[in-house]
Amino acid sequence: MSDNHSEIIITENLHKTYEDNGVPVHAVQGVDLTINSGEFSSLVGPSGSGKTTLLNLISGLDNPSKGKVWLKGKAISEMSGKELSDFRRDHIGFIFQAYNLIPVLTVEENIEYIMLLQGVDKEERHHRVMEILEDVDLSGFEDRFPPKLSGGQQQRVAVARAMVARPDIILADEPTANLDSETSGDLLDMMRHLNQKTGMTFVFSTHDQIVIDRAMRVVTLKDGKIFSDKTRD
Amino acid sequence: MLYLKLAWRNLFRNKRRTIIAGIAIALGLGALIFMDAFFISEEAVMVNSATSSFLGEAQISREGYREKQTADLTIENFDLVMSGLAEDTLVKAYTPRVQSFGTASSASDVRGILIYGVDPKREPNLSIVDEAIVEGEFLTGEDSHDILVGIQLADYMDLSLGDRIVLTLTQVNSGDITQQLFRVSGIFDFGDRSMNAGAVFINIDEARRMLSIGETAHTISVNFIDPILSRDSTLVFWDHYSEGVNEAVSWTKIMPQIAMMSDMLLIGKIAMFVILMGVVVFVILNTLFMALYERMFELGVLRAVGTRPAGVAKLLIFEAGALAIVGIVMGAILGLAVTLLVANIGVDFTDVEFSGITMIDKIYPVLRGYQFIIYPIIVFIFTLLIGIYPAVHAARIEPAKAMRRSF
Repeated sequence: MSDNHSEIIITENLHKTYEDNGVPVHAVQGVDLTINSGEFSSLVGPSGSGKTTLLNLISGLDNPSKGKVWLKGKAISEMSGKELSDFRRDHIGFIFQAYNLIPVLTVEENIEYIMLLQGVDKEERHHRVMEILEDVDLSGFEDRFPPKLSGGQQQRVAVARAMVARPDIILADEPTANLDSETSGDLLDMMRHLNQKTGMTFVFSTHDQIVIDRAMRVVTLKDGKIFSDKTRD
Repeated sequence: MLYLKLAWRNLFRNKRRTIIAGIAIALGLGALIFMDAFFISEEAVMVNSATSSFLGEAQISREGYREKQTADLTIENFDLVMSGLAEDTLVKAYTPRVQSFGTASSASDVRGILIYGVDPKREPNLSIVDEAIVEGEFLTGEDSHDILVGIQLADYMDLSLGDRIVLTLTQVNSGDITQQLFRVSGIFDFGDRSMNAGAVFINIDEARRMLSIGETAHTISVNFIDPILSRDSTLVFWDHYSEGVNEAVSWTKIMPQIAMMSDMLLIGKIAMFVILMGVVVFVILNTLFMALYERMFELGVLRAVGTRPAGVAKLLIFEAGALAIVGIVMGAILGLAVTLLVANIGVDFTDVEFSGITMIDKIYPVLRGYQFIIYPIIVFIFTLLIGIYPAVHAARIEPAKAMRRSF
């Protein structure tokens, strides 16, 4: 593995095989991928190509059958469960397809959740929540509960939640799947803007052309393997 | 604080389920409070029925008298014992009694009976013989040949007020037969068959004279200023009045079946607690596991964003605690309401006999502060302990599996 810390994500001969009704499914097969700090990349491919499984493996949400993942120079397979939880909390932000905000917490409480886990003090939390809400154009929505927001607004809260703790990497799984094209475009533009502003690394799994069009790097997966890897100038 | 807030709000995501689970806990706690209140009163009524009707809370007698019941076993140093009791600050009332088996003859029948010689002045302070009179009046002490007979004995021997009855018994020292004519001055109903059919009351002085035992008695029944003292085996009273050949014993020794009944009530209370809590266990487990599986994806997300397994477990335990609080509040109100209602009406077991004791009062459940402190605390801790199982289950959630639907 390289010691160059601009290489924020490295996977080495990554494999994942699981059983589906007794039948082995080779979801990821020997993926070698390096993502540099600050990239705005997308993993694309048809359903079943292994995008989600690869994101799970990269984030440590799932264990590889073979191979290794390094994040910020650390092999996540060598971390204990607690270390991995803390690493995800401090270094990875997640954006999910179905937003997955906690419905009983207000917008502000949802966004500050990770900072609470980090032990950030109340004043600082509030300041950062207000700041990020302004960035995602949701100022004034902090006391609302998620079910009262539109899909696009909820996904922007999810982006704010993912970014507010200032992680190094944002992993977004099909973030536009439940949004209309205009909202998707706006959301992607906003994320691109934040990517440029903060230097955070964004990795999307998607088959949405709107996301693909805006990604700086497009890694195409097919049958669990990297089929192509193109970087835009 | 966040987990507390989250747990409390999660509780009301499915209001119907929370209410049902809360009601289950409430019924458990409410029943526990009510049963405890009922048992307190039931035990008190039983003890009171046994002790205040005639027995007394303690008795002083000659050693061996309780077992043999022979008329020659009289209390030693009777005057000293009586004067000691008069000065004893723990003693509320006391009365001497002379007892002997004998026969009663009326114009129509002859029967073997138990003759009680009682002090007409002291006896009403301790027993309910005077209150049990259904015809005539209690012994006045003015006529030493008055006699009180039980309602059934009066029926068997065809006796009514003013009728003559002859008692025959054996003098203690000489063994001579002695007879005395009495007139029925009162008929009593104790609600107890053995007393109603087999006992008579006469003046203690007359009984002493007939038995020729002098100025003494076979027993002295004692009531304390606080009935609880009768259960205190460390009380100096027992040793003090058990000096020489006398013995002082509590009602718990004289009527061990009542003490056993108290133990049985305690066992019953524990059994009730176990059964009720058993039901509560399954309701809480069911509720928490349903909530867990319903929110599996959400918990997966919490784990994914960095919540440690212990954090997820804590959340589930807090939810169990929040559920317990809802149930406890409902249960305390329910227990209070039902107990107050029944306490207002009373449960009528009067004249019903349990273990040879005829209940003389209604049962009015008794509320105590501890019922609203100890039991809720037990239920709360119990619920938290139950919550550990689903909490451990939740802590073991693998985020990727939990979120399989999307991520």
